Amino acid sequence: MAGSLQIVVCGGIVPNPLQTLEPTAGPQGPALKNEAMLPAVLDPWAWHALFEAANLAKQAPGSKITLVCMAPKAKLQQVMMTIAQKTVFELQPIDGPASGFVESADVAGELAEVIKGINGLDMQKLLVFGGWESASRGAGTTMQILGEMLGITDQFQGVDEIRLKDDGSFDVLERIEGGKHQVSRCAGAPAVLGWATGNLPEPPNNPQAGMANMRGIMPALQKARPAKPGQDGVKFLDVSLPSQRRETRVVKDTPAEEIARELAEWITG
Amino acid sequence: MEKILVVLFTQEDGSLGRTAFEATGAALGLAKELDGASVTIGIAGTSIQEAANALAGSGAEKILGAEAAELAQPRYATDAAAAEALAKAAGATIIVAPGTSRWNRIAAGVAHRLGGRADTHATSLAVHEGAPTITRWYYRQRMVAKLSRTNRPWVVSLDPGAVPAWSGEPSQATVEKVALSMPETAARTEVIGVEAPEAGAQTIRPEAETLLVTGAGWTKKQADGQIHLKEAEAAIMDFLRQTKASLGSSKSLVDQEGEGQAVLPFLTHMNQIGQTGSTPRHAKGLATCCHGEEPHVVGWRFITERRAVNLDANCGWAQGKADVLYVADAFEVMKKLNDLLAEKAPATPES
Amino acid sequence: MTQDTTSGQPEVDRQSMEVDIACVGFGPAMGGFLTTLSRGLLNEDGTPAAESKTMPGMPPQVICYERADDIAFGVSGVVTKARAIRETFPDLDPADIPMTHPVTEERLLYLLDPVGASRRPATVKAADAVIKALRWMLPVRDQALRIPFIPGFMKKHDGLLTSIGQFNQWVGNQLMASGTVQIWPSSPVSGPLMENGRVTGVRLADQGVERSGEPQPGYMPGMDIKAALTVIGDGPAGPVGRILDEKLGLPEGNHQHDFAVGMKVVVELPEGCELKPGTVFHTLGYPEPEIFGFLYVYPDGLASAGVFVPSWFDSPVRSTYRYMQHWMQHPAIWKHLNGGTIRSWGAKTLQESGRRGEPHLVGDGFARIGEGSGTTNVLTNSGVDEAWLSGTLLAEGVLELLKSGEEFTKANLEKAYVRRRRESWLDKDSRKAEKARDGFQRGFVRGMIGMALAGFTRGRLSLSGDGRTPYERVPTLEQFLKGRLTPQEVEKLRTEAHAKGRTLHDSIMELLGWPKIEYDGKLLLSHQDALLVGGKVQAPPGYADHVVFLYPHLCEECGTKVCAEMCSAEAISVNPEGEVPLFDREKCIHCGACFWNCAKHLQDDPERGAIAFRAGAGGLHSAEN
Ligand SMILES: Cc1cc2nc3c(=O)[nH]c(=O)nc-3n(C[C@H](O)[C@H](O)[C@H](O)COP(=O)(O)OP(=O)(O)OC[C@H]3O[C@@H](n4cnc5c(N)ncnc54)[C@H](O)[C@@H]3O)c2cc1C
Ligand SMILES: Cc1cc2nc3c(=O)[nH]c(=O)nc-3n(C[C@H](O)[C@H](O)[C@H](O)COP(=O)(O)OP(=O)(O)OC[C@H]3O[C@@H](n4cnc5c(N)ncnc54)[C@H](O)[C@@H]3O)c2cc1C
Ligand code: SF4
Ligand code: SF4
Repeated sequence: MAGSLQIVVCGGIVPNPLQTLEPTAGPQGPALKNEAMLPAVLDPWAWHALFEAANLAKQAPGSKITLVCMAPKAKLQQVMMTIAQKTVFELQPIDGPASGFVESADVAGELAEVIKGINGLDMQKLLVFGGWESASRGAGTTMQILGEMLGITDQFQGVDEIRLKDDGSFDVLERIEGGKHQVSRCAGAPAVLGWATGNLPEPPNNPQAGMANMRGIMPALQKARPAKPGQDGVKFLDVSLPSQRRETRVVKDTPAEEIARELAEWITG
Repeated sequence: MEKILVVLFTQEDGSLGRTAFEATGAALGLAKELDGASVTIGIAGTSIQEAANALAGSGAEKILGAEAAELAQPRYATDAAAAEALAKAAGATIIVAPGTSRWNRIAAGVAHRLGGRADTHATSLAVHEGAPTITRWYYRQRMVAKLSRTNRPWVVSLDPGAVPAWSGEPSQATVEKVALSMPETAARTEVIGVEAPEAGAQTIRPEAETLLVTGAGWTKKQADGQIHLKEAEAAIMDFLRQTKASLGSSKSLVDQEGEGQAVLPFLTHMNQIGQTGSTPRHAKGLATCCHGEEPHVVGWRFITERRAVNLDANCGWAQGKADVLYVADAFEVMKKLNDLLAEKAPATPES
Repeated sequence: MTQDTTSGQPEVDRQSMEVDIACVGFGPAMGGFLTTLSRGLLNEDGTPAAESKTMPGMPPQVICYERADDIAFGVSGVVTKARAIRETFPDLDPADIPMTHPVTEERLLYLLDPVGASRRPATVKAADAVIKALRWMLPVRDQALRIPFIPGFMKKHDGLLTSIGQFNQWVGNQLMASGTVQIWPSSPVSGPLMENGRVTGVRLADQGVERSGEPQPGYMPGMDIKAALTVIGDGPAGPVGRILDEKLGLPEGNHQHDFAVGMKVVVELPEGCELKPGTVFHTLGYPEPEIFGFLYVYPDGLASAGVFVPSWFDSPVRSTYRYMQHWMQHPAIWKHLNGGTIRSWGAKTLQESGRRGEPHLVGDGFARIGEGSGTTNVLTNSGVDEAWLSGTLLAEGVLELLKSGEEFTKANLEKAYVRRRRESWLDKDSRKAEKARDGFQRGFVRGMIGMALAGFTRGRLSLSGDGRTPYERVPTLEQFLKGRLTPQEVEKLRTEAHAKGRTLHDSIMELLGWPKIEYDGKLLLSHQDALLVGGKVQAPPGYADHVVFLYPHLCEECGTKVCAEMCSAEAISVNPEGEVPLFDREKCIHCGACFWNCAKHLQDDPERGAIAFRAGAGGLHSAEN
């Protein structure tokens, strides 16, 4: 069994991915129309990171999971209602915007402050998890900057698997080109891992985990640290929905041979 | 006046990948439109002369080289150190990089070290009202933004295939070497290899002309009430073998594994395209048995020509999204198509 | 209609957890309950006003389980007088809740039939003729008669327009922030736990199972949540309430045979639409005389629009979706919507037996609130405020019992809750509504167009429902199409459709003269596309099917397949290979209409149809309905 770990999972929230999204001009630059009304979820890849953290914590008894999350407080609370039954964690909330148009460097700064302030932080046990990209900004930049701010240069992005060894070292599988994984061996914590989908199914809802979590989550939310990351230095000239409608020619009641012939010509043409 | 630096990593064999030439092309194009801008090329690797030669004719002001044995392996600590050193040596204000997995691992970290900012997944780099401007997508390819920055240095990584590549004849290049000191911590991580999907099932081919998207319909009960996994597998693999197409999948199809349903063994989450999958770039895309809906059809947002085969005329993956929708049984169509392809060009044995 | 007893969960060792109060469902009834309760659980100095039995020293532990994936995924109108809601929130500012506005104007429209396909009895046709003849003196425009006065019971003046999703979200967030209660979405409750007639808590649905309920690897048996008090507010078709009804029976003389499907869309109104926020339209008369419609205008150019198809609409091809599309295209409605775009869609059952459908409100260890407890006003389809009030009344009673340390026995709950309910306007109004439902037609008709429409009254009398179940009322296809098609022709139609796995409502409606729907991708969408707007309908894996065909022999002999014809989301489909329909969990929106629409019943149990509608996860994912 590996020694205990301190796993910090960083994750923002994003609108439930199946909602209709539209940009609008906000006071500080672009924003999502009706953002406050859209149901939100934990950023999908951070969501996976959380499951992976839970799984890893089981392999390293005594480990602790902290979820650091920046989002508008009311939305965050609602998201907690859906995730807090999944696994036990401690929440470190930051009351700030969830928009993808906010500077990732500013977000990373906020996250770094919170992580540095965690009681009993032990760099030698610290694994910083997050999504390799957010579903809002889709940049994969926050975790890197956060790593730099924490002085961590063992960083991995697009991670699908971690294989922990008894001596605390671990192998990491990162996505690279061509559907392959690069396998790296890291001597141990501290490290930053930006997760892709991973291989774990979503854990079932566990009411006991929910009970345990809520006791900590509500007071933590009340003390959420306010933050105002900005869009300094960046100027959005235009944000728009791509016009994607194509004139679709529908071919019906046509024998498969004919369709195949047309396709063959198109593919080899 | 902008000092534009292109930072490139060599491939294992010392050459440069296609994306390196794309980044070079983008940087040169940008410089042309910006008054007084200069382009420097920085190359990092174990031995970079060959790569430098390939770009000798690009017209870059100079070529900087950072060489170290540690750069044989893509690794955050060493790659970031090399990129940082090159940027400092060039005094770069804009750093253009190819959006490879290697660069995307470090882009923002390097920018942070240099006191600048990074934008990844840019799909264009041009000048707008006198200022360098990029286009990139937000909310998983559902919104597109044009933006410029006053932050410098500004690291921009370009999505593969998004911009035309520079091309020119190689010649002997003069390389100015940049001294590198690798951080002590570099040794903490060692790359021990690459894991590819099952041998022979190399299905993701970013360079391919065509993308075949497969949906959950392939593993659903067909008109005869049966599931036809073997036929599905044969049809798909045969098509891939003959066309060298890349294979994409809907989320439902790859998720089925976790749900204990019938699965196609050669598909993994890495094949998934769409909102929580990838958005690859190919000239042609053929979607089969995919229903999908608006947010997920973004999976083929960057496919130029699109066609779909589905039993359902209301198929969301096609209506208004594809150029042609064939309302037909994909099993039948693919089988016939494979036969035709085989006739046209007798299949070469798998190399 | 009752629930099946076989809940389908395997017998295994289950984990259990103890709380003080376990609550089922988070709708307005539970919103009212938890809001009032949470305010009374702590004293002003923050000390507990009563002590938890399960966690000594702490205030009572209160947990609410909601089956949908978010507390904002409900479906309703909503226009409401908001009397009870305002009493709870005296300083309520509608501007604090998105999609909320005071009611500013109300219109009641009698819609003529511009298409000529409506099944109008002779009397209604005569009335229509009179209206048309007198159109020069009556307020008739766009094929609709604006009824110059609105019966008192319908008036929502001083009321509120809101979206149930946004309202529930607003209430829920305040509740969670109070820290005194917990609300867990994505948590279907499969049924009550009972010991010797006493409810001792609830059991959650199993996870990690196949569609059939068989455990898979990763099986997690639904946990037992033990509680001294279980509060059931699972709405009009809630499985927990229905299991109790089955076990305990209904009070003498009561029945739950009257239902409706309410289906709606949220529309982004076209630019230049002149409707002002706060405008309310009620419609009647079209597409069928039994179908009511509504259009509510929100701020920011949004509106809610939809129809109610009641159980006493005697047609076996009762596709609410199709009817809603015809209703939307009525000139009096279309002129406002045309050019707009659908943003969201949803449907849900309304329990319309009202006071007559009231179950046992309390028993040892449990209390019922909201629509499942008969709160909904049967005349006006108004249920939000009523549900809210039932919750607040229970909370007052519960606080009383908690503070005096009394047990949650039937007698104590009668005294603390039922008495309050009987004395409140809720009970009085529901009795009035029942009377008014009969009186409504007469008064209104007279006031409306006088004697010419008197015949209409008779046609509408069935509005009040006559206690017959839908299976007793709904004719066979052959009967329904008599005079139009021979039984042989009907059989041919049926066989053809069956072979293709298709339902019949589209072809039959078109046969009856309803025009084909021309999809425009904005307001007129295919039914399947409606499932994708405003956050696609979805079902998480690992749960058992919640719609189950219990008695194949009933389906074998069922010629109408009403379940598939009426399914609000085409989740039930005709099985080309057999008589038992197919169910696709990923499309189901949990409207709860299938179980009460079933065309058959068990021979020895008139209340038991072939369909079990159980607790399930997933469904709609729109926060705007
Ligand atoms: C948070 C989240 C993120 C998601 N991200 C993604 C994503 O990134 N990418 C993605 O794809 N999905 C994603 N989804 C899932 C998405 O909502 C859909 O469920 C999924 O795309 C549907 O996959 P499908 O088309 O393969 O399957 P289905 O919906 O099952 O469609 C199967 C299709 O096959 C057709 N068919 C069947 N047999 C035949 C035949 N013989 N010939 C021709 N056609 C046939 C049917 O007509 C049908 O249209 C996400 C969902 C969520 C909740
Ligand atoms: C289309 C439509 C329009 C309407 N218009 C109006 C209107 O304009 N004005 C008005 O006042 N009323 C209107 N109503 C009626 C009103 O919405 C209801 O009367 C009201 O919502 C009832 O509140 P409730 O709390 O009792 O139940 P619900 O709102 O139904 O809430 C019950 C909750 O319990 C949950 N639940 C069910 N089973 C379980 C389980 N097993 N485990 C866990 N949770 C479960 C459900 O998901 C739901 O969230 C309308 C209804 C419809 C369908
Ligand atoms: S469930 Fe009821 S309505 Fe549906 S086929 Fe069976 S008997 Fe007929
Ligand atoms: S199957 Fe689902 S959507 Fe269809 S009627 Fe039943 S509950 Fe409603």
